[in-house]
Amino acid sequence: MVALARKTLIYEWRRFLPAMLAVGFAGLLQLLQIALVLGIFGSTSLYITGSSADVWIGYPGTQSVGSGRNIDADVESRILMDPAIQRVEPYIWVDGDWRGPRDTGGVSVFVSGIDTSPDGLMFSKALPANLRARLAEPDAVVVDRSVLDQLGVGIGQTATINGHQVRVVGISSGLRALGGVNVLCSLDTARQLDEDPADSGPTYLVAKLHDPSQADAVAIRLRGGTAFGPYTTWSAKDFAKISVRYWLFDTGAGAGVLFLAGIVFLVGAVITSQTLIAAVNGSVREYATLNALGVGVGALRKVVLEQAFWVGALGLLGAGLLGIVLMMLARSQDVPVVLTVPAAVACILLVMGLAAVSGLAAMRALRRADPATLLR
Amino acid sequence: MPTATAAAQTRAPALLAEGISKAFMSGHQRTQVLDGLTLSLDAGELTLISGPSGCGKSTLLAILSGLQKVDSGRVRALGSELGQLDLRALERFRLQHTGFVFQGFNLFPALSAFEQVELPLNHMGLSRNEARRRAQQSLEEVGLAHRMRLRPSELSGGEKQRVAIARALAKEPELLFADEPTSALDAANGQMIIDILHRIARTHGTTVLCVSHDPRLVVHADRVLAMEDGRILSDQRPPTPAAQDNGIPS
Repeated sequence: MVALARKTLIYEWRRFLPAMLAVGFAGLLQLLQIALVLGIFGSTSLYITGSSADVWIGYPGTQSVGSGRNIDADVESRILMDPAIQRVEPYIWVDGDWRGPRDTGGVSVFVSGIDTSPDGLMFSKALPANLRARLAEPDAVVVDRSVLDQLGVGIGQTATINGHQVRVVGISSGLRALGGVNVLCSLDTARQLDEDPADSGPTYLVAKLHDPSQADAVAIRLRGGTAFGPYTTWSAKDFAKISVRYWLFDTGAGAGVLFLAGIVFLVGAVITSQTLIAAVNGSVREYATLNALGVGVGALRKVVLEQAFWVGALGLLGAGLLGIVLMMLARSQDVPVVLTVPAAVACILLVMGLAAVSGLAAMRALRRADPATLLR
Repeated sequence: MPTATAAAQTRAPALLAEGISKAFMSGHQRTQVLDGLTLSLDAGELTLISGPSGCGKSTLLAILSGLQKVDSGRVRALGSELGQLDLRALERFRLQHTGFVFQGFNLFPALSAFEQVELPLNHMGLSRNEARRRAQQSLEEVGLAHRMRLRPSELSGGEKQRVAIARALAKEPELLFADEPTSALDAANGQMIIDILHRIARTHGTTVLCVSHDPRLVVHADRVLAMEDGRILSDQRPPTPAAQDNGIPS
């Protein structure tokens, strides 16, 4: 079979270049947008995904990690009674007002008071062991490398949170937060930073199971007791999802993302279809001749669709390569970008869908390939 | 290859048009292009339709080849009533039985001469080897064996038209239609093209219908129909049939 679609694409690549660029940039935009959204909103569940807890215990109705309420400290003993539990530790969240040594004004910070023992669960994946150990010192805090300017401090310097003096003992990476700055300290330090006298217990309890695969079942089993005041439980995975979903949908950010994706799709499809239509028009006499010779319209349509497919595939390839380079660049600059397999698949489907829609639009141009018009 | 001329005289005509009429509307103006035209063509002959532009000869060609429908009358091609075939069936009929050569060569810029010829054969359900064999053979027949790896941009006008003829010929059609095949070519190339068409009619027994206003072609045709205003004015067989068309074009 003579590969008309491919040979034409190669021979007349200049003609198809605008379509490939349009598809490529549409793909790249979607890819980076999704990666950024996942990165930025994924950071709202950093507390969960950066820790090795399997089950979270918190106040009922909590909508995201950052909006927890205190629960009774005695809940811990209830949790420990369950045979599936290997370890439980408290996690204290305090909203703070940071005043740095340099002129930065007030900075809103999210203080995370964590268990500093070597086998502590919180931030076990994000915080190096030596920094965790240094948090045990009174008033010691660790902040992310990317926020030093924002906080106006360097390592070893002091600042105040909620009027209480703290000292930066270490700098970590991968601790960026959304809408504020994460500050890590020990449970004791966090209790001292909490100004509200009504807060007595921890914000959360986090638990590790002997068998992490039981997280869902254990979370359900532990739910519903009221003997120690109100609390509820989530598996870590569920709580991370709830947190991300809250930011994505309840803040309107998700709608914005979808809107932009729609615009990018539309613009890409318009440019691509116009280019493909121009390519069909450029060969319309040849197509008409084939039709005169008895090659069916269906077969000609397939040629156009195949061209659209290759334009999509090549555009996608370009977008993929450029996307990887840009993602690596973003990572090196501490810009939170995350690309998951479902997100990448969604991108691919969107781009190939764009190419397919454009191909279908271009197929209409074949109606001009009427062989009778060649006889005038 | 047997010479089919003699046998064709006793057989039913390859192509028969009876009382065909065709009119076009342009705005409110109705133009009668063909007016009750009757015509029968025999296999193995090169028939030339000549006439001034606008006389309806191209429309006649489009109707006889099944590219256009008639307003009234009927067309029988190889025993099929073209008016009764739907779009798909017409495509199938053209695929199996007809070849076309147009004034513009209409070759795909991206394909080599060989691929241009092979492409329609792919759609005829031929095996890959058979398609290639036929493509090779018909390019040899039009004298392009040494040029078949070249793209249209590397071929001269005459060579391009010969590729177009090979593309039609490789299908081994019973009916071959040519619309002004020489008008874009110089005298020598035009001569070569008409020789090839004539030879195809003779050696393959193909019914070749050629529309042209090129007076040079008249002496090479077996039969010349002169058209004017949608009617056939004269139907002649030139006394000196082309005898020199056994030469292979270089």
